[in-house]
Amino acid sequence: MRNNAAFIAFFAACLAAAPLAAGAAELRIGFTSDPLTLDPANHRSRETETIIRLIYSGLAANALDMTVVPDVAKSWQWIDPKILQVTLRDGVKFQGGETMTADDVVYSFTRLLKEGAVGGQTSPRKGLLGPVTEVAKVDDRTVRFVLSEPWPVLPAMLTFQEVVSKDFTEKVGTPGLATQADGTGSFGLVQWRRGDSLVLERFPGFFGGPSDIPPAGKACVDRVIVKIIPENAARVAALLAGDVDLINDLPAHDIRTVEANANTRVAAVNGTRTFFVALNNGKKPFDDVRVRQAANYAVDRQVIIDRILNGRAAALNGVMSPAAFGFNPDLPAYGYDPAKAKELLAEAGYANGIDVMLDTDGPQKDTAEAIASLLTRAGIRTKVQVGEAAQLRARWAPDGTRDGDMWISSWGNGSLDPTDIFVPTLRTKDRGNAAGYANPEVDKLLDAAGLETDQAKRAELYRDAQAIVNRQAPWIFLWLPQDLYGASKRLVGWQPLASGMLNLRDACVR
Amino acid sequence: MSGIAVLGRIRLSYLVVAVFVAMAVLAPIIAPHDPADSDLFRRLQPPFWMAGGEAGFPLGCDALGRDILSRIIFGTRISILVGVVVVSAATVIGVLAGLAAGYLRGWVDVVVSWMTDVLLGFPYLIFAIGLMAMMGPGLLNMVFALAYKEWVVPCRVVRGETLAARETEYVEAARALGASRRFIMLREVLPNILAPVLAVATIRVAQVIILEASLSFLGLGVQPPTASWGSMIADGRGYILDAWWVSTFPGVAILLLVLAINLAGQVRRRDDHG
Amino acid sequence: MSPAALLTRLLHLIPVLLGVTVVVFLMMAATPGDPAEVMLAGQQATPAQVAALRHDMGLDRPPLERFGLFVGHAVRGQFGQSLFHRRPVAQVIAERLPATIELSLAALVFALVVAIPLGVLAAVKRGGWLDRAATFGTLLGVSLPGFWFGILLLIGFAVQWRLLPVSGEIDYDAQPPGVTGFLLVDSVLAGRLDSLLNTLAHLALPAITLGLPMAAILMRVTRSSMLDVLRQDYITFAEAKGLSRGRVLLVHALKNALLPTVTVAALETGALLGGNMVVETVFGWPGLGRLVVESIFVRNYPLVQAAVLLYAVTFVLLNFCADLLYTILNPRVRM
Repeated sequence: MRNNAAFIAFFAACLAAAPLAAGAAELRIGFTSDPLTLDPANHRSRETETIIRLIYSGLAANALDMTVVPDVAKSWQWIDPKILQVTLRDGVKFQGGETMTADDVVYSFTRLLKEGAVGGQTSPRKGLLGPVTEVAKVDDRTVRFVLSEPWPVLPAMLTFQEVVSKDFTEKVGTPGLATQADGTGSFGLVQWRRGDSLVLERFPGFFGGPSDIPPAGKACVDRVIVKIIPENAARVAALLAGDVDLINDLPAHDIRTVEANANTRVAAVNGTRTFFVALNNGKKPFDDVRVRQAANYAVDRQVIIDRILNGRAAALNGVMSPAAFGFNPDLPAYGYDPAKAKELLAEAGYANGIDVMLDTDGPQKDTAEAIASLLTRAGIRTKVQVGEAAQLRARWAPDGTRDGDMWISSWGNGSLDPTDIFVPTLRTKDRGNAAGYANPEVDKLLDAAGLETDQAKRAELYRDAQAIVNRQAPWIFLWLPQDLYGASKRLVGWQPLASGMLNLRDACVR
Repeated sequence: MSGIAVLGRIRLSYLVVAVFVAMAVLAPIIAPHDPADSDLFRRLQPPFWMAGGEAGFPLGCDALGRDILSRIIFGTRISILVGVVVVSAATVIGVLAGLAAGYLRGWVDVVVSWMTDVLLGFPYLIFAIGLMAMMGPGLLNMVFALAYKEWVVPCRVVRGETLAARETEYVEAARALGASRRFIMLREVLPNILAPVLAVATIRVAQVIILEASLSFLGLGVQPPTASWGSMIADGRGYILDAWWVSTFPGVAILLLVLAINLAGQVRRRDDHG
Repeated sequence: MSPAALLTRLLHLIPVLLGVTVVVFLMMAATPGDPAEVMLAGQQATPAQVAALRHDMGLDRPPLERFGLFVGHAVRGQFGQSLFHRRPVAQVIAERLPATIELSLAALVFALVVAIPLGVLAAVKRGGWLDRAATFGTLLGVSLPGFWFGILLLIGFAVQWRLLPVSGEIDYDAQPPGVTGFLLVDSVLAGRLDSLLNTLAHLALPAITLGLPMAAILMRVTRSSMLDVLRQDYITFAEAKGLSRGRVLLVHALKNALLPTVTVAALETGALLGGNMVVETVFGWPGLGRLVVESIFVRNYPLVQAAVLLYAVTFVLLNFCADLLYTILNPRVRM
């Protein structure tokens, strides 16, 4: 039944006995997509995780500046390069009433790691735990993560997992956990109308959330209604009409409308998704570094950022975002110099210019066409070809047909660590290496940095690698867009997070 | 209804269709600008009667600063081409298949009927989307995806009419005279059963034009920078709150052409029934 | 219709459904793009992890085996797991189906309510201003691209004039207790006027957008069949007997005139299911159409296969019912 009648007894009693009092605060959110499931271990979608994190907490969370802070954990430390010991907080309660213990944590992570532990299938989030082999209980307040090799980024990766209740999960089973919830987060699930909306109610027994994020306290709103509105114009319209107080994924060009409206404002945060144009390094003409550099000189990034993205992006000269670990701030920008581009093309033997194709998916079409027209003016005559995202990925995969010239693409870096983005996109033959870039020197640096435990040394290795990549220009370097949200001016106590999570703990609607 | 009113109706709808056809044919001559010429500084410029508009770009500019009027004029080619080609090809195939099925009967009929039933079981857009996901986007693939399902209806109609016509006297006479089956099918049966098919053809052209727009709307249409009315509406739907002209004018164009085609077809049919 | 003919017709459905299953399976198999890659797009995962996910999804088996498994399970009513929701496909579809059915039926009712009176009146007052206006209006109805028209309605009624809600099915506070899963029915069962009105307000725009082309078609069918009926001898006879015009119309003419309307309506309802996805996308209606289109784009094979099979069964059954209805209502026609 679409009408989810899985009331947790606690909330059912409240609702039956005392309907929401007049004047009680309600926060309505217009969200882009329906969560695929409410089972924290059984999906691989950022949007789904955003909703789940309203109901569940994890061992770690991101603060506003994206530093990793303990959530239901109290602290952690590496007692060995391959063993992370985590101490848990006291007094963390589940919405169903039980207190969280180490058993729940061990159960949650074993469920993530063991083959076939999630309803006969393996958790798709297992890969996010890297070389973790097991999680063992030390005592009621302590657990240990055992790894097969050193992995310094583990605490950051713990922000992507949540803790479930062992008793509850065993009672309802994996099928039940998909549509019912019993978490330690600030809100409890009341109802989920698939595809339409979710209703959450304040959990009075909430432990307060990460103490590192001030002010730590209980949720201000009594009820949160998440309305699913996938169509952009409708979602913005809902905000402008006052139907919702907060929307995510605000399209860049609606910024002016939202700012002009007396009741709404724009909230922005530097994003974590790098955009670039992958050039096919294995095929003429982009096998020549001069042609690749020419392409970089030919694109006036600033005019595209100003006109199409409304100024809401930071130009990048590499793959890493400025907030990421090991970011190299001294990378030289190529700048807009079409004359230099033509010069380089002539040097490489293409005095009459070249004819190439730029692959793009639907959402990036406008940007792709703008880039194409700039490239064409510099002698790189570009035709845009719109394809379906799934098809393009198959074509540009390391083992795909790889018959294209350029592909405007992006890669996310939620953990803000190079292992999540630098390695997959630029290491030889790695999964996200659409450009086909193959540089043994860069590979060596990346491998060494992956095992280096001294943070300062690690950062330097990454900086060197970025400098090499910048010179060799396997891509046309583009930008890092901001994540944009629209909010009612009545909404206070809320700031957007670069991780995409909605921390509604202190949110209030006046 | 008075003769003059009917005459007036005929003329207006035929005229409108003729105007659109002329637009399609003469596009490079009458369009004020190059439809692919993008100028980011003209992005989302309003129509000339609004503040910020200019007479040189009468209907405003789209998200990449391209002239909407020029794109609508060139877009006429796509719509008319797709509509006419798809329906013509589909009708020819459908008529031949239906004729064969209805007259020859036997296993030919079984196979053709089975194919039409299977294809009819798919909702139209889903089949088209599935086909295009399989073949990739683009004009040619879209024509193929639309025609693929279009042939089914003429086929069924023709099959039914052929079955009925089979038993008529003129066919029996032809058979008695020793005429070959093919001869009978093509020369005797065919002309008599075409009427209902042709009658529906104009409506189908209109429907296909809208379907092409829907496919473009879902991202499976023509490749940029080619302008099709459907992809123009789709491109503009994100801007509808403040730059309504990007979606609205192509929508009006679809409406006018399809309405004119439907009106013209309807009047002709009324004439047929005398 | 004899029981033997009935049985033959029903058995005829089986090769058709098999054909549909084969076609959709082949189409999905021939489509480039891998659901495991889509799921892990832009996220860090080693090739080994991707392969593990593919294995988990059952995609590393040969196509023939997968097809056999699908058919074998399908006849037992099991359609596998949705690759993205990781729950049984049957459950995911069943959750979204009531919304689509409710929207389709609302569109159908809207179409009938508009078409039948207009069609009758246009036929009766043939050539008058009403006839011409209605004819023009119907041509307009089949000429409007639904997605464009829907967006304009949305901007007008929901944003500009704030008369109707922007999206969704119902507001939380107005929900009736869920008995059947159909909001309109549940509202009536619970006797809650506020639920009923709230649901209707949310249904209005999508149902009108979806139902307008159908209303146009049905109006024309009604009008032309009414004209045919009115010309019949038995009508003239009834009038000659002295029966009032009104009684003649309602009792004799309408009953016979509605027959083609009803059969066409049954057939077109099948088409409504296909037209759903555009309207559901524009209005954010939580139905099956939107889900199926999204599933095609992310290559969620099991869900697409099951949904298409469901559509095919529905369409074929509707066709069958239309034929049956025609036979029952018109005793002169024998199968």
